[in-house]
Amino acid sequence: MHRIFLPVLILILAGCSGSSKPEGAKTFTIGMSQCNLGEPWRVQMNADIDAAAKKHSNLKMVFKDAQNDTLKQRAHIEELVSASVDAIIVSPKESQPLTEPIAKAYQAKIPVIVLDRAVQGDQFTCFIGADNKKIGKAAGEWLRKKLGPKATVVELKGLMTSIPGQDRNQGFRSGIEGSGLNVAFEADMKWLEPDARKEMESALARLSKIDAVYAHNDPGAHGAWLAAKAANREREMLFIGIDALPHEGIAYVKQGILNATFQYPTGGAEAIDTVLKVLSGQQVPKTIVLGSRVYTADNVEQGGEALP
Amino acid sequence: MRRISKRFGAAEVLRQVDLDIYAGEVHLLAGENGAGKSTLIRILAGTLSADEGRIEGSADVAVIYQELSLVPTMTVAENLFLGRMPRRWGFISPSELAAKAKEWIDIDPHAIVGSLPIGMQQRVEIAKAASRNAKVIVMDEPTSALTAVEVEQLFTLIATLKQRGCGIVYITHKMEEIERIADRITVLRDGQAVASRPAPQLPRAELIRLMVGREVNEQFPSRTPAIGSERLRLKDFTVHAGEIVGLAGLQGAGASQLLLDLFQDPPKAISEGVALLTSDRKTTGLVLSMSVTANCVMAGATSSWRNPAAERAEAQSLAEMLRLRAASLDMDAGELSGGNQQKVALAKWIRTKPTLLLLDEPTRGIDVGAKQEIYQLMNEWSRQGVAILLISTELPELLAMSDRIVVMRRGQVSAVFSHAEATPEKVMEAAC
Amino acid sequence: MLRAAIALLIVILLGLAFHADGAFYKIGTHRDALRQASVYGILACGMTMVIITGGIDLAAGSILGFTAVCFSMMSIWWSWPPWMSVPASLAIGAICGGISGSLVVWPRLQPFIATLAMMVFARGLAKTVSGGVKVSTALPNGDGTFRYVQVPEFFRFIDSRILGGNLSMVTVIFLLIAGLGGVLLARHIWGRDLYAIGGNEEAARLSGLPVKRSKLLAYVACGFCAAVAGICQAAQEQQGDPEAGGGYELSAIAIVVIGGTNLMGGRGHMGLTLLGTMTIGYLEKILSINAVPEAGRLMLTGVILVAAVLTQRRRRF
Ligand SMILES: Nc1ncnc2c1ncn2[C@@H]1O[C@H](COP(=O)(O)OP(=O)(O)OP(=O)(O)O)[C@@H](O)[C@H]1O
Ligand SMILES: [Mg+2]
Repeated sequence: MHRIFLPVLILILAGCSGSSKPEGAKTFTIGMSQCNLGEPWRVQMNADIDAAAKKHSNLKMVFKDAQNDTLKQRAHIEELVSASVDAIIVSPKESQPLTEPIAKAYQAKIPVIVLDRAVQGDQFTCFIGADNKKIGKAAGEWLRKKLGPKATVVELKGLMTSIPGQDRNQGFRSGIEGSGLNVAFEADMKWLEPDARKEMESALARLSKIDAVYAHNDPGAHGAWLAAKAANREREMLFIGIDALPHEGIAYVKQGILNATFQYPTGGAEAIDTVLKVLSGQQVPKTIVLGSRVYTADNVEQGGEALP
Repeated sequence: MRRISKRFGAAEVLRQVDLDIYAGEVHLLAGENGAGKSTLIRILAGTLSADEGRIEGSADVAVIYQELSLVPTMTVAENLFLGRMPRRWGFISPSELAAKAKEWIDIDPHAIVGSLPIGMQQRVEIAKAASRNAKVIVMDEPTSALTAVEVEQLFTLIATLKQRGCGIVYITHKMEEIERIADRITVLRDGQAVASRPAPQLPRAELIRLMVGREVNEQFPSRTPAIGSERLRLKDFTVHAGEIVGLAGLQGAGASQLLLDLFQDPPKAISEGVALLTSDRKTTGLVLSMSVTANCVMAGATSSWRNPAAERAEAQSLAEMLRLRAASLDMDAGELSGGNQQKVALAKWIRTKPTLLLLDEPTRGIDVGAKQEIYQLMNEWSRQGVAILLISTELPELLAMSDRIVVMRRGQVSAVFSHAEATPEKVMEAAC
Repeated sequence: MLRAAIALLIVILLGLAFHADGAFYKIGTHRDALRQASVYGILACGMTMVIITGGIDLAAGSILGFTAVCFSMMSIWWSWPPWMSVPASLAIGAICGGISGSLVVWPRLQPFIATLAMMVFARGLAKTVSGGVKVSTALPNGDGTFRYVQVPEFFRFIDSRILGGNLSMVTVIFLLIAGLGGVLLARHIWGRDLYAIGGNEEAARLSGLPVKRSKLLAYVACGFCAAVAGICQAAQEQQGDPEAGGGYELSAIAIVVIGGTNLMGGRGHMGLTLLGTMTIGYLEKILSINAVPEAGRLMLTGVILVAAVLTQRRRRF
């Protein structure tokens, strides 16, 4: 409901994206259907796409925000098809209900790049996404290297009813399996910083010694750090989070708040690359799995380090 | 009903009360404001449960409540047959509903009840109870908002019901009505039944003494008006300081509307010394969810901060002045008996020291003793130079208290009589 | 009052029974329970006034978010001192409340609709002025890189503790607001007007009370409280999140109702809201220290809400 006024924002974003084009070159219009601009990570995705598109003066972007509404997103895709855009990038809210509209666009000979969340079947040009399980596992393995066996870990989970939450949890558990690391307190913080802080306060009250906090997103890790700092215990433990947005996770690492953040790439730049390839007639793979990076105090100035 | 007792918190409202209701008889319940009459019949109807005692025999009871219990947003017909609408295959048939409603009442069945004047609403309430075909019908001050003609219609209806073998319990503060229709009278005082006799064995003076516990002069107090300068000039008449002008007219003749028009901008009117006692204390007079004290001191606040001690003292003196019967001044106004609520609605305006008082049915639901006090209060006010515009459906009261009578018909003034000229016949003639 | 205290007592007994290895006996747990409830409580104070008039303010959570963003921009981006940023933020909240109030008073919109409109509008405003991202100590340079600044001293002050670390500053702020609101409701003529309006608006009008003005001011007060809550929220998060406070209005309403203030208006007082806030705060804390999974929390909260309100119920005679 509270997203009704977002079109204002979209207009502003869309307005920014016009850039001068050289005479004679063919311009391409690319539609981008975003499922929910209420999430900072998705705002970043749009920003990445926009930044990448701006590097090419013959690309014109049209952004749409479905405000977390599947049916609205479906309508947006249909609008883009009837406007005969040259390519569509879509980051779907839900897999199943959006499979068909995306297939229709594909069958109308419009290249469709699916970002982040996959749809069913093969009626799309290319899927670009990262693997939450792999990232969670990397986080687990990173902690395992840093901590001795029997260390106590607090896990602040995103929404456990969401796939990313489940994957980041499962990946992490597989990463620490057999290490003797003990997850002594776990709670849903619903991706929200204030909730993470509340849960961390409880963890601090219950556990006299905590060696690390693993939060499913960086704001969660930041909330946990605030709670530990208020209890004067922030030096006792490591804080790691996921997402590594420049103004969140990476900023926190630079400020010495987080010990590590694991990038969950938006794939924005890759999407524009792929679109350009398709439009120039090149072959592209059906699936591109994005690599992730880890940022720590040691490597953050060098732009992080790619995960294997 | 046998040995009924009831307490509200610490207040003992009914103590070991017996009440026998016979078929074909009007059993009259008399008693001062707050004596426990309404409470007793609410127990009879089953909306309240007694702490002690029992009800014998079949309790097929329909009640006309003192504080009306209609659904204001529904139509007349829907209210009449609420819960027992005529149905056809599960659907309500509006035409049939309207037709059936017409058998019981001559008000437009499609009118929304909330938009009707209080007197008409009262008639809907009566028709609703009568159409229920109950063995016992209880009427709690049914005539308090009815005009003389409507009262006659009600009495005819009561006669019919009696013939059908209905037992009727009737509560009123009006002596004339008691004398006309009572077959048997039970007097409640402070929650106790102090007498229960056939009506002929209970003459008026004795009845009043039993109710009030003291002698009450039933005569209207004599007035020696001291008319001052003009206070209010309207199109057809003027009101002077120290004068009581009575407004007569049938329901909907525009008398109440006239008072409301004079009070269109309440803060301004109040600052100019006008006060309006509305006809319906429940919907426009009181805030039932606030304490008696808060209601008493509601109008005409002089400072931004409240002073509980001063408020309490003021409410206390007003309560004594009007003989308010309340277990505590901190109780909700809604928990007071009907007559006592009326007193609070009046008390509110005493403190603003008005110079023009607009009184719409000031004695509605008030017992004989307290009526006298209100009459005396009105006289006292007018002696101090207050101009009073008075509406009352009780013609004797209106004629006795007013220095002049203005009769209204269909929103227009149709006649003006002096105190000496006015007779019930002349007034009725001008009104119809 | 007594019944609201019973609900709180039951919740505390629950805590004594499920003390999570003694965590419930630590003083810090109680400090934290009160801290996390304080922002809700501040919102609930304003909500109490509106609910007493028989209205509702769904915009409180969004106004919180909007003022959190504004306050952070003033404090972090523009380095305003607190004596400028605090009054300015409070004024913004009060104006937002005033707009909802005006819609209720003059075009006579249903409070539900008027404040629903304000709810989405204020959220949109928050996202517009912040550009859709959190206003934090990472300042954008405009080219995708960031500059980092210190967290303003005043943020740390609001997020500090007093009494040897045993009482959070936000709780102090909440208690001050509740105290002020309580005095206004009980002792100021405006508070009395609110009760009268909620009990019988027509009777209040005919008694010469300034019905429109008083009602409008109730929404202004609610917006003001939302701004106080927004400042506290921003200080505690060290940033202004345009999404902050989403759904908080419902928690605030729940607190008011659990305290025993009648949603129909005309009854209730600030003491009840204080108890309601503590009830909710302790409930959340007890569920949290026992690490009850989210699904169980939601169900338990629902059950306890109903139970609390049932214990509140005035006995029908
Ligand atoms: N819900 C309640 N709570 C507390 N006291 C109550 C409640 N209802 C009634 N009372 C008290 O019980 C007493 C009897 O009230 P009741 O309404 O029966 O009087 P009544 O005889 O009908 O008076 P009236 O002639 O004024 O209508 C009053 O003093 C009243 O204040
Ligand atoms: Mg009565």
